[in-house]
Amino acid sequence: MSRMATFLRFSSSRVSLISFTLLLDKPPGSSLPLDGLAAALVHIQHRLYQMSLQRTLKAYKFGIVNYLNALKLQERLSGERKAGNIQDTILSLQHPPTYTLGKRRTDHNLLLTESEVQAMGAEVHYTERGGDITFHGPRQAIIYPIISLRAIGFGARKYVEGLESIMIEVASLYGVNAHPGKAGETGVWVGDRKIGAIGVRISSGITSHGLAFNIDPDLNYFKHIVPCGIRDKGVTSLRREAQMQLPEDEVIHDQLIQSFAKTFHFKDMQWSQGGLILPADEIK
Amino acid sequence: MALKLWASSAANALKLSSRASAPFPASSISRCFSSVIDGFRYSDSHEWVKHQGDVATIGITDHAQGHLGEVVFVELPESGTSVTKGSGFGAVESVKATSDVNSPISGEVIEVNSKLTGAPGLINTSTYEDGWMIKVKPSDPSELQSLMDSKEYSKFCEEEDAH
Repeated sequence: MSRMATFLRFSSSRVSLISFTLLLDKPPGSSLPLDGLAAALVHIQHRLYQMSLQRTLKAYKFGIVNYLNALKLQERLSGERKAGNIQDTILSLQHPPTYTLGKRRTDHNLLLTESEVQAMGAEVHYTERGGDITFHGPRQAIIYPIISLRAIGFGARKYVEGLESIMIEVASLYGVNAHPGKAGETGVWVGDRKIGAIGVRISSGITSHGLAFNIDPDLNYFKHIVPCGIRDKGVTSLRREAQMQLPEDEVIHDQLIQSFAKTFHFKDMQWSQGGLILPADEIK
Repeated sequence: MALKLWASSAANALKLSSRASAPFPASSISRCFSSVIDGFRYSDSHEWVKHQGDVATIGITDHAQGHLGEVVFVELPESGTSVTKGSGFGAVESVKATSDVNSPISGEVIEVNSKLTGAPGLINTSTYEDGWMIKVKPSDPSELQSLMDSKEYSKFCEEEDAH
């Protein structure tokens, strides 16, 4: 008859190390379900390691940040996150009037020349994110999570669905009934009006870019693009859809971050006002 | 509580009797229904390699395409570009997210799948055949040994999905 003993050791405050000691006393002719055993042990060890991970989200809050400066900051942070030098991070900010394009460079959806854009005091930037052309501007909440999807086993689709659900949840706090788009129309809608946009980059399993949620931006800027390449659909804002008075933008930014932390199962949050060295010309 | 459940599932696997008679949480171990091809090698960033003589064909796995959603755009390198094991060579876009694709081996790109420009969805529908991305002349065939085989990769997927 075969005999095994298992032995578990726990560290003082939390489970950080599990070791199993197996004593096999296999008589000749008998066999053990070693494949199943190996799978079970790998599984258990992995789950307990997961439990021991301190999943803290570090949130940095800024005011209005130039688009390129925010991009450089994200590139630096995602490099650091990939190297394991920093924890999962999230940026909360707004942009000055900026049109941005994704990797597909769909600039046929920009209905102005670059000089016309400059004349109105806006900028145009090409990026590596997914998604089509969009507008960012003051009174639009920008949230850029720099997190490891590999650490939580999420793929692009599940991550983006999580970002959609965050905006839907915050909209509902103001009595606004928002919903995700139909298949192929990533984003958040109220009826057939778009209130929130998503454009993400995933590099070595680390996210950058993120979501843009219209609190009360100047929607006239959207007239000069085919937003996200979708004609015949309008854009809207929380201000337009909500029946109630809205609080300061910062409150809504914080709610988006808290919803993010909850949706992606973070244990703890650390908040920081600014606190990161941005590239020069941050203040415009 | 969770620990007890896992301990009892270990007990199940070890065929020991346990006091708690919690059912084996099948969903938390065998959640991987993605397909793999025997004979291919796999990276931990979900790319596959088919090695035939001097040519290694590379694409992304069924597990990857399922987690991405419908692919709408594929960015590929030019022929003649060199690729390095573990480094990005291109990207795919799905659900407004671009995801970098890494090369499992080092070498020189000898052919790219131009069909993907007009039909990026081939990555979803014909993942291991018409959805191939690049063909590479390996510079160091021993790199293939450090990749996972289909069985190891299936286990790897199960682990990742059990979150």
